[in-house]
Amino acid sequence: MEVLIKYLISRAFVALLFLCTLTGICSAAGDYDQLFRQSSDLMAQGDLDGALLLLRQIPAPVAGEEAGAFVSSRMQAGRILASQNETNKAIAVCQEVLKLFPDNSEARNFVAALKDQLKPGWHTVLADTLRFLPSLAKGALMTLLLVLCTMLVSPLGGLLIALGRISTLRPVSGVCWFIIWFFRGTPLLLQLFFIYYGLPSLGITLSPFTSAVIGLGLNYSAYLGEIIRGAIQSIDHGQMEAAKAIGMGYGQAMRRVIIPQTYKRLMPPVGNEFIALIKDTALVSTIAMVELMRAADQLFNTYFNITALALAAVIYLVLTTIFTFIFEKIEYRAGIYEQR
Amino acid sequence: MNNADQPLLKLENITKRFKNLTAVNAVNLEVATGEKLVIIGPSGSGKSTLLRSINMLEEIEEGTILFEGREVGYVKHNAKRHLDHPHAISTLRAEIGMVFQHFHLFPHMTVLGNVMEGPLTVQRKSAAEARTIATDMLIKVGLSDKRDVFPATLSGGQKQRVAIARALAMRPKLMLFDEPTSALDPELVGEVFDTIHTLADEGMTMIIVTHHMGFARELADRVIFMESGNFLAQGTADELFSKGQDNERIRGFLNRLL
Ligand SMILES: Nc1ncnc2c1ncn2[C@@H]1O[C@H](COP(=O)(O)OP(=O)(O)OP(=O)(O)O)[C@@H](O)[C@H]1O
Ligand SMILES: [Mg+2]
Repeated sequence: MEVLIKYLISRAFVALLFLCTLTGICSAAGDYDQLFRQSSDLMAQGDLDGALLLLRQIPAPVAGEEAGAFVSSRMQAGRILASQNETNKAIAVCQEVLKLFPDNSEARNFVAALKDQLKPGWHTVLADTLRFLPSLAKGALMTLLLVLCTMLVSPLGGLLIALGRISTLRPVSGVCWFIIWFFRGTPLLLQLFFIYYGLPSLGITLSPFTSAVIGLGLNYSAYLGEIIRGAIQSIDHGQMEAAKAIGMGYGQAMRRVIIPQTYKRLMPPVGNEFIALIKDTALVSTIAMVELMRAADQLFNTYFNITALALAAVIYLVLTTIFTFIFEKIEYRAGIYEQR
Repeated sequence: MNNADQPLLKLENITKRFKNLTAVNAVNLEVATGEKLVIIGPSGSGKSTLLRSINMLEEIEEGTILFEGREVGYVKHNAKRHLDHPHAISTLRAEIGMVFQHFHLFPHMTVLGNVMEGPLTVQRKSAAEARTIATDMLIKVGLSDKRDVFPATLSGGQKQRVAIARALAMRPKLMLFDEPTSALDPELVGEVFDTIHTLADEGMTMIIVTHHMGFARELADRVIFMESGNFLAQGTADELFSKGQDNERIRGFLNRLL
């Protein structure tokens, strides 16, 4: 009997020991997950250093052991350190992962990105610039094309609207008044939407480019129409009378005498409008046109890289500067007869 | 057809109103070919309005304008009169030269360009022909050396002479001058009067509005004194300007001027 009891006790002890070992192992793995959770809580409370301390307590796994908590903890620590601008420490902590798992792509990409950050700034910017420039240049060309088309269309449209406005025929001046009223009184964005998304329901489907040129062309014709009308009416009435007195008709007088004198007066406000136009072309990115703004936006969304936007800004500035220069030259040439 | 006795220009009862102001009041006037007529009168008396009515720069409410015996400028339609077709009016204007107080040269054209403009654009002459005519006219007014400059560089007197050349380039049958020297510095008046004199000597028919009585006396075959849209008196310069002028209004006007 005594032997049996002794046996049972020894068995129980072994079983207890076994159980203890078992629960011990289990509780160790559970501790790591719990540590990770606790560190996340600390992070949420803003205690980054505390979170780091907890994460570092998770040890490297022995061969064959489950490694999820370890990898997550080191990556998390890396991100915290990177956010604290401790780039070197962040790299070191991530390399612990790479030592054990050289193929872990997450750790590899992160280390590469961190190493990128350590390179001198201009180097990265240059690399980004070279990477982004082709698609930005393509976009800029489209912007330029839109600008040139609108610059071609809108002065003609503006002139027609201006002549219509000062016409003594009531229906003509009424229609032109309406055009100006409508296109100056509603947002360009809305006009573009209406042309591109709205017209198809009336059975008119236009390509994005056609829609953009029509929208920008009409909008800028309306603005230029008012400017041109003002310029025409600012010409001394005596000019029209002198032209009529030598036998010119209204059209001849306008074409030969009045309109040529408006060029110089038109250049400053029209130049202004065209500079605004260069930037307004960005709005057509909303109707599926890939121009400079859209190209920059796409790059930014792909790479989360502000350089793409900065480059776009530079290209817009280059375009506006070039056009400003050209307009100033034209204004000078247009007014050359006024010099004594 | 062109009767020698027929006046070049005949105005019958023409009336021009601005709202309820009658600027020209039922005026009758005959201007013979070659005649030099001077119109004087106080400011606001309707002199400019009368001149401008002759080439339809003002649309008259009543009356008839006959140029070379033809009724011009207006047509009757359904018992309502209105301005003739723009083309007909332009054709008439091309035959009547007008010189303005403030020149109204085309600033964006050179002096030669200004004078060429009528022959080139209105008469559709070739550029070479227009240039020849314009050059001749600039020689006539003594400004051929200024042919390639812009009007902004000219003195007032030179501008007015270019304006005269511009009108002459259309070979008008009648010239209207509306105070051609009033905007000029006194020392520049003479050169413009000399130019007009030259034209007068060539037999040009002209109506001149001026405040220069000396010039009127020298040039005018007939002087008309206008006031409040009416012709108050007319006659030779000597008759009108004589000390024995019995019309108090005219005497007062002349005394203020002299
Ligand atoms: N476009 C117009 N609208 C309204 N009233 C006008 C207009 N043009 C002229 N008038 C008026 O008609 C009248 C005659 O003017 P007009 O210019 O013919 O006078 P004028 O004799 O030429 O005077 P001045 O010697 O000052 O040139 C004036 O009372 C003037 O105020
Ligand atoms: Mg006058």
